[in-house]
Amino acid sequence: MTSLKRSYAADPSAQNLSSKVYVRSTKSGKVQKIVRELYLRQDIPCSSRLCSRCVENAPTDYHNKVSPFVLSETPAGTKSFPQGHYLVPDTNALLTAMDLFEVETAFRDVIVLQTVLEEVKNRSLPLYHRLISLTKNEDKRFYVFFNDFRQETYVVRDAGETINDRNDRAVRKAVQWYSQHLQAAVKARRSGRTPAVVMISDDRENLRKAEAEGISALSLSNYVSELENANQLLDMVSERREQRDNRGGKVELLYPEYYSISKMMTGVKAGTMHQGIFNVSQYNYLEGSVHVPAFERSLLILGRENSNRAVSGDVVVVEVLPKDQWKAPSSKVIEEEEFNKDDNPDVEEGEAVVTDRERRALQEEVKRVQGKGVEGRPQPTARVVGVVKRNWRQYVGHIDKDSVRTSNRESRAQQTVFLIPMDKRIPKIRVRTRQAGELLGKRVLVTIDSWDRESRYPVGHFVRSLGELESKGAETEALLLEYDVQYRPFPKTVLDCLPAEGHDWKVPASLEDPGWRGRRDLRDLLVCSIDPPGCVDIDDALHARQLPNGNFEVGVHIADVSHFVKPNNAMDKEASMRGTTVYLVDKRIDMLPMLLGTDLCSLKPYVERYAFSVLWEITPDAEVVNSNFTKSVIRSREAFSYEQAQIRIDDASQKDDLTKGMRTLLMLSKKLRQKRMDAGALNLASPEVRIQTESETSDPVDVQTKRLLDTNSLVEEFMLLANISVAGKNYSAFPQTALLRRHAAPPRTNFEELQNQLKVKRGMELRTDSSKALAESLDTCVDPQEPFFNTLIRIMATRCMMSAEYFCSGTQAYPEFRHYGLASEIYTHFTSPIRRYADLEAHRQLAAAIDYEPLDPSLRSRSKLEAVCKNINVRHRNAQMAGRASVEYYVGQALKGRVVEEEGFVMRVFSNGFVVFVPRFGIEGLIRLRDLGTPEPEGEFDAENYVLRVRGSREVNVELFEKVKVRISDVAEESTGKRKIRLELL
Amino acid sequence: MPLDTSTYSLALLRLDGRRWNELRRIHAQISTQAAADGSSYLEMGNTKVICTVTGPAEGRRTAQGAGQECRVEVEISIAGFSGVERKRRGRADKRTQEMQHTLTTAFTSTIFTHLYPHSTITLTLHVLSQDGSLLAACLNAATLALIDAGIPMSDYLCACTAGSTANEDADEPLLDLNGLEEQELPFLTAGVLGDNDKVAVLMLETRVRVERVEGMLAVAVDGCKRVRGILDAVVRAHGRRIVEEGV
Repeated sequence: MTSLKRSYAADPSAQNLSSKVYVRSTKSGKVQKIVRELYLRQDIPCSSRLCSRCVENAPTDYHNKVSPFVLSETPAGTKSFPQGHYLVPDTNALLTAMDLFEVETAFRDVIVLQTVLEEVKNRSLPLYHRLISLTKNEDKRFYVFFNDFRQETYVVRDAGETINDRNDRAVRKAVQWYSQHLQAAVKARRSGRTPAVVMISDDRENLRKAEAEGISALSLSNYVSELENANQLLDMVSERREQRDNRGGKVELLYPEYYSISKMMTGVKAGTMHQGIFNVSQYNYLEGSVHVPAFERSLLILGRENSNRAVSGDVVVVEVLPKDQWKAPSSKVIEEEEFNKDDNPDVEEGEAVVTDRERRALQEEVKRVQGKGVEGRPQPTARVVGVVKRNWRQYVGHIDKDSVRTSNRESRAQQTVFLIPMDKRIPKIRVRTRQAGELLGKRVLVTIDSWDRESRYPVGHFVRSLGELESKGAETEALLLEYDVQYRPFPKTVLDCLPAEGHDWKVPASLEDPGWRGRRDLRDLLVCSIDPPGCVDIDDALHARQLPNGNFEVGVHIADVSHFVKPNNAMDKEASMRGTTVYLVDKRIDMLPMLLGTDLCSLKPYVERYAFSVLWEITPDAEVVNSNFTKSVIRSREAFSYEQAQIRIDDASQKDDLTKGMRTLLMLSKKLRQKRMDAGALNLASPEVRIQTESETSDPVDVQTKRLLDTNSLVEEFMLLANISVAGKNYSAFPQTALLRRHAAPPRTNFEELQNQLKVKRGMELRTDSSKALAESLDTCVDPQEPFFNTLIRIMATRCMMSAEYFCSGTQAYPEFRHYGLASEIYTHFTSPIRRYADLEAHRQLAAAIDYEPLDPSLRSRSKLEAVCKNINVRHRNAQMAGRASVEYYVGQALKGRVVEEEGFVMRVFSNGFVVFVPRFGIEGLIRLRDLGTPEPEGEFDAENYVLRVRGSREVNVELFEKVKVRISDVAEESTGKRKIRLELL
Repeated sequence: MPLDTSTYSLALLRLDGRRWNELRRIHAQISTQAAADGSSYLEMGNTKVICTVTGPAEGRRTAQGAGQECRVEVEISIAGFSGVERKRRGRADKRTQEMQHTLTTAFTSTIFTHLYPHSTITLTLHVLSQDGSLLAACLNAATLALIDAGIPMSDYLCACTAGSTANEDADEPLLDLNGLEEQELPFLTAGVLGDNDKVAVLMLETRVRVERVEGMLAVAVDGCKRVRGILDAVVRAHGRRIVEEGV
């Protein structure tokens, strides 16, 4: 009889085999016990260039390649380690000071242990991803050492040992092994000095044990203090909890505690709580709103206590307050700066969450709301009971000069100061710094570390200084950071993907060249491009000619970017991350490297270029007979600006074929436009201005509103047509994974306010049941005396719309594809691949749809496309906002030191102020009661009629839509440090 | 949350510390149940399977009439405690039936069935523990048990799995996936007959790009040959013991 024995003993490899048993609980609350094998090995290299032994038995991958060794032979040293050192950070060091490790000038040659990496992943995924990207940065020389798989450094958890203690022990063991290993390696080389292996930890117990075991170890601050720019670096360490905890036993808890995750989850499931994104009002920092599916209108969150440490952008769980506490949204402008000027950043005791002045401001609100009848329409209010996900990012701001104790530059004493973010919706951030004096008057980047119950403001730490306030460099960088625009130069890996010929690249002369495969030769067509003046990245070109049957052949030729940017290479990844080119007033942040964007892809005149062409046969009535897609080679005959093109078309003496083609295009475009309008496309307006700059210094001189010519809409119409045609083709080829763009119909409630305003003030009706009805009723909103009135209404209507978004066709039902604004069933972006990533993806899909090349799998996977869509949606929005902010900044600069009187229109009325829009500069500004005169005049706000009656030191009635005269001057705004325009009522 | 397969590229190490071309520890015994005609016990990592062979025995009369060749019947029972979560699987379980079918067809073509007309060979497999490569382990255990039963067949039918890392730019095949890797990566199971490249079983149920399959298959076939070496050693050691000890 044989028996089944435990098989390990007999196995010679058993000594290398260990197992890992751990328990985890699933989402549904079940507890699972997981048993995993662990194969311990001896061929995990130390990755130090000093070591020759590890090189010999370094592992190879499937392609027989060895990964290069990372750690330098001569690492940098400090005073205590003149021979140089490798750093081994402990988990807590990485968690508190990731910013520090990312500094370019220090923290090189770092060994990240597997134990630490796993712990970091457990604690914070974003930090984990940052750490992983650090290991990929060649300059930083970070190496991940899999200590738990190496026989010598593997540590078995002792009975009764906590997992943390075990991990600390594993770290120490690895450090010990490394130093012995390096000593042996150096001895074998018989040269040089042995770098020290230094553990960086903030755990006192761990440091003590390390010392006892003879391992060199330092706390983070001790280590940093020996570096060159220690003061600056020390500020980058996160504010830690314990530092504040030990500041006197009793701390007053200012905010209610968050509910536990499970309580929130059950609450959300049961419908007693709601989850959504917390948004703070631009005008009133005490009023937030959360849109949840259960309520048609957003839930209001009033006051600090109710918003309970949520920061704008966080995903929160809220609980609806009883009905008697429901309120109408505030009609008052409340800015933090006015109310809490005198807070002292150092004093924490005796702080109340709501200061008296704030309370009074809120109180008045409540009274006003309850005094009103049905008209006030109280909105449900809620309070935040927990935060599901923090969406904290890095914030740009400036140090509040009143909060600085000693502004002495030499003082190195640490003090706590307030940072006032540029974004008004973000609360002040308390920052501890040793360089307060130096940072005054500078743009500063900080991150928030935590916001505890006992602290009124969140606590953060300094990241870096961008430069002087109001200097062009600092303000532009601030703007880019604030809108998360990637503006660093392209890394080498990206530039390596460019064609080796550089600017000398040409369309191959021989038709046998693989580049010509599947391409049509359209070089003899009379193609031209029409763009804004000074445009260098020419995405599109057009042509039209008459066919023998009386119809027209019209072609839209788009730069063939997908020929140069292959899926999944470094350049493609960079472009997909950037998502779009960002246009600022004086600067363009490209999505693709210059060489492609402005030369090789750009459809410049007189040279041959690869293109992706859409060719239609169109009847003289602008009906599309058929459409055809092909990769091609074109030679643009001329690059026009809108104005030049207009002049050429209007000039009757020009009778050449090119001009005739352009006239045909113009004629067809007008008919196309009419058709679109008939279908219910909206003609919306947004204030657009152009900044004229001095050519050399690019300092702004003047501001002009943009002019629209016929040729603008000529190009636009054909681009729309191309986009629509391509969308249809891609969708039919890839019903599940076509990348499309949709514009959802706005919910009726969005227009309620505007409808009511129009009815009360002008007796006009705005119908919103369909885009056609809206377009028609917008046309009727005309004031014969005031031509601008219609535009104003259109601007306001635009703001009520949803924003258009990219999506993957499999995620929505076909009726949801609709583009509301363009009144098209289906739409995508195809025509600007140089500056938008979505277009590039559409190009790839179209190329696959016409069997030009196989589709990359990343474009076939719905989940991947969804991720791409999500990113480009965000990037697109950010780019728009950054562009607008840039215009705003330059308008401010252009008006600097000037005083202008202009006409403006009242756009919005609050109980203590009103917003005026000045069409001439495309700016809107707030005029508060206290700006009207001193002492602050009394204001009586008639919400039903949108009238603010001002009495007292100044007597005037301000009505909505009223035309007013304002004086525009500029002022450096205290609260955000921006130079802003100031409006005064005349 | 321990690391997942995305960290492979950091140090070319898999979740359990293996390299791309390494098998897990394989332990096998034969003649474990004296009462059976043939029996085996096989561990591939933490996947543990017992197999017994009954027959060739006189077969049941089936409707088609007794053929000139013997029938191979396979019964697999997966213990409720074998996975991470306790789960009972009945006889009608689709996945089990599919595995049974795969084994039946594989061994019908491997065994010299013409030698045993009108009879049935029954393979009974009990899965005690699952940690990936289940089908491969069943095939290997069955091969051993059949050899133990002395049933003539053309060669060892050895199987193992191969997967591919999910990394886009550098996809690398991986040999012998464990349970966790199977959940995250595309993989195939290949069974190879003997010491050459005759693929007798090939199963691919996950979506994978066609370019990757070639590499995966090459690695799997290579792995099967190594498995064959290990199983052969087990059989020979057992044979030697019989000769020496006369058990």
